[in-house]
Amino acid sequence: MQENALLARITWNTLITLLYFFLLAPIIIVFIISFDTRQYLAFPPESFSLGSYVKVFHNAKFISAFWRSLIIGGIVGVVAVSAGMLLSLSLVRYKFRGRAAVNFLILAPFLVPHIVLAVGIMLVIAPLGLLDSYPGIVLAHLGITIPYTVRTITMSLMAVDTRVEEAALVHGASPRMVFWRITLPLVRPGLIAGGVIAFLISFDEATISLFIVSVKASTLPTEIYHYLEYSTDPQIAALSVILILISVGVVVAVEKLIGLRRAL
Amino acid sequence: MADHHVIIDNLVKTYPGAQKPSVDHVSFSLPRGEMLALLGPSGCGKTTILRMIAGLIAPTSGAIRLDGEDVSSIAVYKRNMGMVFQAYALFPHMTIARNISFGLEMRKVGRAEREERVRKALDLVKLTGLGDRKVSQLSGGQQQRAAIARSLVIEPELLLLDEPLSNLDAKLRDEMRDEIRDIQARTGVTAIFVTHDQDEALSMADRLAVMSAGRLEQIGTPREIFDRPQTEFVASFIGAGTVFEGKVTEHGLAMVEDLKELRFVGDAPLGSPVKLMIRPHRLRLLTDAGQPNRFSGTVEHIVYRGQTLTLNVRCGSRLLQADLPTHAGMLPERGSTVTLSVAPEDVTLVGQVSP
Amino acid sequence: MSAAATAPTATSSTSAASRGILLMLLLPGLVALVITFLLPLIWLLRASFTSSTMSAFGGGDLTTQSYSTVLFDPFYWRVTWNTLVLGFNVAIFAVVLSYPIALFLARTESRFRGVLTALAVAPLLTSSVVRTYGWMVILGDRGVINSTLQSLSVTSGVIKLTNNSFGATVALIEILMPYAILAMLSGFGRLNAQLEEAAAMLGANRFKVFTRIILPLSLPGVLTAALLVFVLAISSFVTPRLMGGGRVFVLGTEVFNEATVTLNWPLAAALSVMLLVLFSSIILLYQRALRALEA
Ligand SMILES: Nc1ncnc2c1ncn2[C@@H]1O[C@H](COP(=O)(O)OP(=O)(O)O)[C@@H](O)[C@H]1O
Ligand SMILES: [Mg+2]
Repeated sequence: MQENALLARITWNTLITLLYFFLLAPIIIVFIISFDTRQYLAFPPESFSLGSYVKVFHNAKFISAFWRSLIIGGIVGVVAVSAGMLLSLSLVRYKFRGRAAVNFLILAPFLVPHIVLAVGIMLVIAPLGLLDSYPGIVLAHLGITIPYTVRTITMSLMAVDTRVEEAALVHGASPRMVFWRITLPLVRPGLIAGGVIAFLISFDEATISLFIVSVKASTLPTEIYHYLEYSTDPQIAALSVILILISVGVVVAVEKLIGLRRAL
Repeated sequence: MADHHVIIDNLVKTYPGAQKPSVDHVSFSLPRGEMLALLGPSGCGKTTILRMIAGLIAPTSGAIRLDGEDVSSIAVYKRNMGMVFQAYALFPHMTIARNISFGLEMRKVGRAEREERVRKALDLVKLTGLGDRKVSQLSGGQQQRAAIARSLVIEPELLLLDEPLSNLDAKLRDEMRDEIRDIQARTGVTAIFVTHDQDEALSMADRLAVMSAGRLEQIGTPREIFDRPQTEFVASFIGAGTVFEGKVTEHGLAMVEDLKELRFVGDAPLGSPVKLMIRPHRLRLLTDAGQPNRFSGTVEHIVYRGQTLTLNVRCGSRLLQADLPTHAGMLPERGSTVTLSVAPEDVTLVGQVSP
Repeated sequence: MSAAATAPTATSSTSAASRGILLMLLLPGLVALVITFLLPLIWLLRASFTSSTMSAFGGGDLTTQSYSTVLFDPFYWRVTWNTLVLGFNVAIFAVVLSYPIALFLARTESRFRGVLTALAVAPLLTSSVVRTYGWMVILGDRGVINSTLQSLSVTSGVIKLTNNSFGATVALIEILMPYAILAMLSGFGRLNAQLEEAAAMLGANRFKVFTRIILPLSLPGVLTAALLVFVLAISSFVTPRLMGGGRVFVLGTEVFNEATVTLNWPLAAALSVMLLVLFSSIILLYQRALRALEA
C-alpha cells in the first residue's frame, strides 16, 4: 500500500516535470542556441560565444525596429491606460442607459479572432493612408489592449472605498483635488498593471502588426517573422533572448514595485 | 478498557519540518455507542487526531485499534468510517440523494437497496423528499444534515465530526446540537466529535477529552470535567474560576496567600505546594457563623446579570469573582464589606505547583 | 473629469452637468473602440461583398463572387478542412497535456506554487514568433531532434518534422498550452481537497476519486480551455506559416496571403467572415455543452 503510493507519487512528479520541460523547451533551446559560434542552425552548440549578440547589435534593421517597438508599445500603453481609466470611471461610478452596450463593446474584442480584426483594421485604415505608419499600428493595437486596461483598472476602482473620497470632501477637498489626491493614487497599481499589460501585448504582437506594417513602421516581431521566412540562424536566437529578457524584466520590475498579485 | 470498541494508543504526529509534535502521546478509548468530544483551544491538535483516526494522514507513531485490531495500515477508503467535515464537503455536482448514495455505490450495493437506504437516511435526518435537490438549493442546516446522512448511510464503524456546528448561526447551532445527539443515540454509532466550544462539548458528549498543545489533559464525563478538573488548564478552559496557590499544612487544609486557610477535599501530601480552584457560582454570602473557608473583602465592582449578580471582591491582593443568585434577599452594594464562604468539597485541587 | 470621483453611484436621473462629464469620460475610449473594433467588422462585411477586380472601396455593385469562391472552390474546402483538423488536434493535445499541470498547480501545497504557476504561464510573455522560432530549432532538418537522432545513429537521413502540418501542430500545442492552463486554473474553482477526502472516507479509491469527483468537477474548466485553444488555433497564421514553410494551408495563412501578397482584399474579407462564422458556431456549441454539463 505504502509502496504503491510512493510509486504513484514518483510517476506523477515525473510526468509533471516532463510536461514542464515540453512547455519550456523552445525557450530553453533558443537560449542555448544563442551562444553558438556557428553561422547556421545546428545542435548541440560547438562552442560558446557571444557572436550572435554582437551581430544583433550591428543589425541596423533590428535596432531600428527595436526602438520603434519600444515607442509604439509606450504610446499604446499610455493611451490605453488613459482611455481605460476614463471608461472605467464611467462604468464604475455612473449608472446610465447604454451601460450594458458599452460594457459589451469593451469585452467584445476578447471574443473576435485577431486575424479577423487585423483584416478589418487594415480595410479601415488603408483608405486613410495609415498603413505602415505609427498612427496606424498604434490604433490597431489600441483595440486589443483597451479591454485589458479597462479590466484591471475597473477592478482597482471597485476596490476603492467611496467613503474615503467622501471623507476627503468633508475635510474640505474639492472634487478635483479628491480625484488627483485620493482616487488616482488609490488606483495607481491598476493603472501601472494595465499599462504594463498593454505595453507587453503591443511589444510582442505579431498577427495584427503583420497586416498593418511593412517597412516604415515595422516592429521587432514582424522583422523577426520576415527574417525567419528565409533564414533561421542563431542571430534570431540572440534577438529572441533579448526580447524575452525585456518582457521578464518589465514583469519583475512591476512585481518589485507594486506586487504583481495586487496589480492583476 | 481493553474490550473498548475504539482504542487510541500513544498516538504521536509530528508534521514534516515541525519542531514539536502536534499530537503528543495521546491515548484514550471509547466503548461501543459512546459519543466522545475532543475539546481544546484552536491549534491544539484535535483535527490532526481525527484525521489520523480517519486514515487521511499517517501517525508518526502509535496505534488506532478498532475492536482490538490495529487499523493504521488500512487505507482510508477501506476503513469504513464516516466523517462530517466542517464545511460539509458535499459534492457540488451531485444531487443530495447521489451524495448520500455515493458511499453505497463505492461498496457496490445494488440499486434497489441503495434507493431504500438513501430514503431511510433522508428520513433519519429529516430531509424527506429533498433528495433531488442540488447542494446549493439547501440551507446550511440542511446541508449539515445531508452530510451526516451521507456518512451514516454506510453504517460506519465510527463516526467522526470535525467542528460540525461551527458553520451554523447561533440559533441553528442549538437546534443541531440536540439533533446530532439524537441521531447518534438512535443509530447507536460510536462517535468522536471535535470542538473548541465547551458548551457544545458539555451538552453533547458522553465524555470529554480535553486537550492542550498536543497533549491530553483530562478525560471524563462532563460532570467530572467541570467539577473535578485535574489540571489548571482544564479548570481555566472550562468554566470560570479563581486559582490560588498554597501549601498543604494538614490533611485537607492549605495555607493560601490572601485567604489564609482554605479547606479542600482531595489528597495532597503534607507540606506540598498546591493549586486550588474556586468556581464563582459556588461562593455564598455568609449567613451563619462557624463555617470553614470564610473570607472578607471589599466589593469593588458589581454587574447585574438578571439571574445572577457578579461581584468582584478584593481579598488581599486578589480579586475573587462570585456569582450570587439575585433572589438571595439583601444584595451587597459597591464599597461595602462582605464575607464569602465556600464548602470544602467545592474547592478543587487542580494541580501541584512545581517548585 | 474632476467631479467624476464623487459622482453618485446609483442615480439614473443624472443632471445635465454630470451627463456632460459622463460623455467626456466615455468619448475617447468609445471612439478608439469604434475605430479599432466596430468599424473594422462592418468594413470587413462590406468588403467581402465587393468585386475582387475593383478596389475594396470603389463602391460599385455588391457581389457574392468572393463567397462563391470560398464556398465552391475545392481548394478552400480543403483549407477549411485543414483548419478544423489543425484546431481539433491542437485543442485535444494542448488540453490533455495541460490538464496534469493545471491539476498539479490547483492541488499542490508546495511553497513554490507561485513560482511554478508563473513558470507555466511565463511563455505568454514571449512573442509567439519567438517560440515558433524555438520549435523551428527543435524540429528543423538540422535541429535538435534530427541531430540527436543522427549522432545516436538511430537514423541516417533527415526526418521531416517541419514544413508540414506535424510541425505546425506541435508548435501550436505548446504555444497555446499556457492559455489552456490559465483557463483550467480559473475553471477549477470547485475542486478542493476536502471533497476528495470526503470521497475517500466514503470508500472511493484513488481511481474512483479521480473519475467520480476530480474529473466531473474540472470538466467545465477543461471545456473552456479546449474552446479557447481551438479558437486561437483556427485563427492562427504566424505559426502555421513559419512551421509549415508555405506548405500548410489553413484559413489563417490564406487570409494573410490574400490580404498581403495577392492583394485580393474581398477574398481575404470573405475568408475572415468564414472564420468568424466557424468561430461563432463553435462558441454556440460550447455553450450548449456547458449547459448540458450543468444540468
Ligand atoms: N498539514 C499540516 N502541516 C503542518 N502543520 C500542521 C498541519 N496541520 C496542522 N498543523 C499544525 O498542527 C497543530 C494542530 O493543528 P490542528 O490539529 O489543526 O488543531 P485544531 O484542530 O485543534 O485546531 C497546529 O499547530 C497546526 O499549525
Ligand atoms: Mg481543527
